[in-house]
Amino acid sequence: MTATATLAPVRTDPTPAADHRARRAHQRRRSLVNHLLVAPALLLSVLVVVVPGVLTAMAAFTDWTGVGFHADYVGLRNFRDILADPVFATALGNNVTWLALFLTAPAAVGLLTAALLLHRRRTRTFYQVLFLMPYVLAPVVNAMVWLSIIYNPNGGVTGALHISSPLADVHGALYAAAAVDMWHYWGFLTVVYLGAMRQTPLEQVEAAVVDGAGTWQVFRHVHLPSIRPTLLLMGVMTVIFSFLAFDYVYLLTQGGPAHGSEVMGTYAYAFAFSAFQFGKAAAVGIIMSFFGLIASCVYTWMSRRQLAS
Amino acid sequence: MSRSGIRVLGAGLAAMAVVLSACSGGSSSASGGRQTLQLWFWGASPQQQKTMKEVLVDGFDKSQSKYDLKVTFNNAVDKNVQVALSANEGPDIVYGSGPAFSAAYAVQNKLADMTPYAKKYGWKDRILAPMYESGTVHGKLYSLPNSINNLGVFYNKKVLAELGVGVPATYAELTAAMDKAAKAGMYPSVTGNKGWKPVNQNYISMFLTHVAGGKTVYDALQGTTKWTDPKIVKAVDDSAAFYKKGYLGGKDYANLNFQESMQLLAQGKSPFFFGPTLAFQFASDSFNDAAGNTSDLGFAPFPNITPGLPSPSGTLGTTASLSVNAHSAHKDGAAEVIDYMMSDTFAQRMNKTWPGYWGVPLKNFDLDPASYTGLSKAYVQSVKDTVATVGKGNYGFFAGTFFPPATATAFTDIDGVWLGTESTTDFLDKIQTTFAAEKAKDLVPPVPEPAG
Repeated sequence: MTATATLAPVRTDPTPAADHRARRAHQRRRSLVNHLLVAPALLLSVLVVVVPGVLTAMAAFTDWTGVGFHADYVGLRNFRDILADPVFATALGNNVTWLALFLTAPAAVGLLTAALLLHRRRTRTFYQVLFLMPYVLAPVVNAMVWLSIIYNPNGGVTGALHISSPLADVHGALYAAAAVDMWHYWGFLTVVYLGAMRQTPLEQVEAAVVDGAGTWQVFRHVHLPSIRPTLLLMGVMTVIFSFLAFDYVYLLTQGGPAHGSEVMGTYAYAFAFSAFQFGKAAAVGIIMSFFGLIASCVYTWMSRRQLAS
Repeated sequence: MSRSGIRVLGAGLAAMAVVLSACSGGSSSASGGRQTLQLWFWGASPQQQKTMKEVLVDGFDKSQSKYDLKVTFNNAVDKNVQVALSANEGPDIVYGSGPAFSAAYAVQNKLADMTPYAKKYGWKDRILAPMYESGTVHGKLYSLPNSINNLGVFYNKKVLAELGVGVPATYAELTAAMDKAAKAGMYPSVTGNKGWKPVNQNYISMFLTHVAGGKTVYDALQGTTKWTDPKIVKAVDDSAAFYKKGYLGGKDYANLNFQESMQLLAQGKSPFFFGPTLAFQFASDSFNDAAGNTSDLGFAPFPNITPGLPSPSGTLGTTASLSVNAHSAHKDGAAEVIDYMMSDTFAQRMNKTWPGYWGVPLKNFDLDPASYTGLSKAYVQSVKDTVATVGKGNYGFFAGTFFPPATATAFTDIDGVWLGTESTTDFLDKIQTTFAAEKAKDLVPPVPEPAG
């Protein structure tokens, strides 16, 4: 018998150092691929958002006219002028009013309608399309419809009722413009809220019903907590949009009469395209963005807190 | 911000300009051996676009063999031109809101000096001196107005007859007629700024002319009189009193535009419409031969409010301005188009179907109203009358044409005084501050001195 020495297969396990190197090389490759994949979007964002954003921030400290490349540094003069202008205070106040209106009226109507449609399984698609129609129409079309049919003193609803059009009233114009914007917006909220409500776990709803909860109690204690993230997101979006409000105000009142419906968007537009004062327009733009930024930060903070809990 | 910061801003803006120019698609190109010339125009109605095509585009193309003219219509033309010029791009022929806007572009070297073309084509000899001068900056010509414009009183003859009043020759007669109309349940006058807030500039300009006088406004534009001068204060106060009495569109000033106002005038719901002669183009939908009421519409000068001012007088303005893009590859062609538009033949043909917009500011505006039909007849007559008034030096200034941009924008806010949200003193202090800043930057266009 010969002893045969059989060599057990040698496992050539890499050393920890080699293993670490390989893993790092793999990570580098993956990182490179990830960066390459994200590069187009990043480049586009830099070109379309960051560069104009930085230029706008810089222009806010100059007297740039918006024509040509010459601009002189004026320090904080644009901001001082704006803050000293009573029209700015009116515009800012109107933006806050706009925010208060949009956080309440369309949200309440949207929630109510969504809750009602939740139980209309067969017809809710039809209603959603119907309610969404103003939202998909161009703002200029909606504005023309309201100007011609509702606010027209000769042939419109206000004329037929022999009441003055609120668009001509210093104190009513903002609300009249907001009414049109809310009319176009609430249908969108309805669709979003309905979609969120439909995600509520059915067993929770059934359990509540079995426990004797009524319709209001099911809505209050089951659906509402369930759609809280959606409510929060739409609330933050509303805050951002409210400080960027422009189209309906411009189309319906152009900020008038006597700046009664002026918002920061129309205030900045007049500087930029009527008075050739792009520096001031940029300064107003920065102030507008500041409020949106605060809303975004609050949203991020709340989302993180929610995730942590 | 340091000098380097400004350089970074400049470099950034230049980079943006490159991006914009890449997106713009270029302004001129060769087609069949002829070069294409671009003109961007506001979004005129289909009928007006047809007239432009037949008279301007086809007429110019046939008049020479080097160029093809292309006109693009867009309601956002002012904004588009501003953005394009910033990027050293844009159309060959620059259409603008008036000499004040052209001056703002000229100081930034966006417009070509047209003085050599003025000499070549003899524009100075052909065009009304105030109109020609309004387009100059530091003695060089940068723009020419396409049409003279005057603010006055449109009236419906039938309604005046119904009310038993004549065409008002004095301010007292005018207000008496409006009071009578109000008592009869009509609007005292119809007009409004719906959709275009700068309409306010028409009415404050009118009061500056007929209360303070053209000479006072001229002095204010020279900087020798302040905008807080008592005569100007009175003009602002009088305009506010006029508004508060409902003499500007009753309670519906913010709910009416020119088109609707002309409809109401034609329907006999008011005896008057106060506005610029360019409103003839809005009137043609309501006063026309098909409706059989063309001859009902009349136009008269607005009467002076302050006694002793030259009479009759008008508030001089332009409807738009025409310039040559400094970065156009076809400056000669662009100047040729402008020259084509500064002619009797062009004015004659355009006014056949498009009254209100083509009162070419020629010294010898030799159009015969009798050879026109429809509203063109009344419009051509109104231009002839305006030219005669200008010849005598009896005019004031329309803010949108002759005031620097920020000052003109500040005058748009006159409705604050009318509605009582701002005092006359605060309003004029703001005007004075804004004007002083623009004057320091040399943004005040040269204005011709009126007689009184």
